[in-house]
Amino acid sequence: MTRLSPDFVEEMKRYSHDTALACFNCGTCTAICPLIDEHFPRRMIRYVQIGAKDRILENAPELWKCLHCGLCTQTCPREANPGEIILGLKRMVVAHWRKS
Amino acid sequence: MYHPRDIIEAIAANLRTTRNPFGIPHFMVNRWWRKSGLTTGGDALLFTGLMYQFIPYIETSTAYLAKYEDSPLNAYLRYARYVPGYFSGLGLATITPGREKRKFDRILQDIVKLLKASGVDFGYRPELDRYSGILLYDLGDQEGFVRHARWLADRLRKAGVKKLITVDPHTTYALKELFPEYTGARFEVHPYFELLRLKGGNGRRTVALHDPCFYGRYLGLSDVPARALADLGIDCAPLDRSGAYTHCCGGPAESISPSLAVEVGRRRLDQLEATGAPIVAMCPICLGNLRKLGADVQDLSSVLAETLQ
Repeated sequence: MTRLSPDFVEEMKRYSHDTALACFNCGTCTAICPLIDEHFPRRMIRYVQIGAKDRILENAPELWKCLHCGLCTQTCPREANPGEIILGLKRMVVAHWRKS
Repeated sequence: MYHPRDIIEAIAANLRTTRNPFGIPHFMVNRWWRKSGLTTGGDALLFTGLMYQFIPYIETSTAYLAKYEDSPLNAYLRYARYVPGYFSGLGLATITPGREKRKFDRILQDIVKLLKASGVDFGYRPELDRYSGILLYDLGDQEGFVRHARWLADRLRKAGVKKLITVDPHTTYALKELFPEYTGARFEVHPYFELLRLKGGNGRRTVALHDPCFYGRYLGLSDVPARALADLGIDCAPLDRSGAYTHCCGGPAESISPSLAVEVGRRRLDQLEATGAPIVAMCPICLGNLRKLGADVQDLSSVLAETLQ
């Protein structure tokens, strides 16, 4: 069972720009990403939208595969800035690890 | 793949205690300038940010990381943060071959030659030339990055620095975009190729110029190095993935997953090799990662400096 945190989008404002809700999950970011990894970064952005913080923490190491190359941000049709959302998630996870 | 937490905490601890992400003492890592005859004056300060100097050490350490990636031994990396920074740094400096260090020092010496030939009024102060902290920013240690960036910005401000000449895209991005946002310090920042005023050359030839993500996409500067090459009779072969749509070299993954860095780098190298032209890079991370794949890659500064001879 996945626990959802409705306030997670608010929490993420501390770590990155508030753009996750602009994403309509088209998958352009995943198609263009040089990692060619099944659902990265789209799935992580979906988790932010629905507040699935636990899922993000469970899969946290995956975030560091991101090369921060910016191609996803360059091509996002919604200007949702996926690259910065991933960077914000890294910051959130680092803060979480240090607290725990 | 290594656990990101182990890598981040080791780098953060080194940077906090030694101001160097690998713990290498400053006088050992920054030696390229000793015979350059540079003065401390001038209108602008040359600021390398130590990225080119770091590459030989990165190559040594990632060779070990590649060896133990996904082996049971990689769990021991979690203890790296407890090893005193200078202790591990001295060890790394000792096992890194001198010829590799000299290779990267020559790139900086070529940049000096190019700036002098262009009549740029600049100086160098090795004690001020420190690492920008950009790796911690990319890894998501925002607290560590901001703390280090404020320390560096403060040193530069107190020294009266206003104008900086940079040599790599990561330091350029940090000083131009991140320092104003996170430290409030605003410097006039120019990558060295923006200041070159060289004409001529010795006959036309073509190269495959690899745009790094930070120049091509984040800073939108791809046209400038291409123009500097064209002014010296060197054309850039057309590439499908260049400028704002350039393809990553894979290098940024090398600490967390050396195998991923190879996989992504191989894809980029195929695109560059398809042009049939000699490959040129202008970022130390790209240069290091593409060379690691066996490619014969020259730095932009070396290609430009060859035309001066």
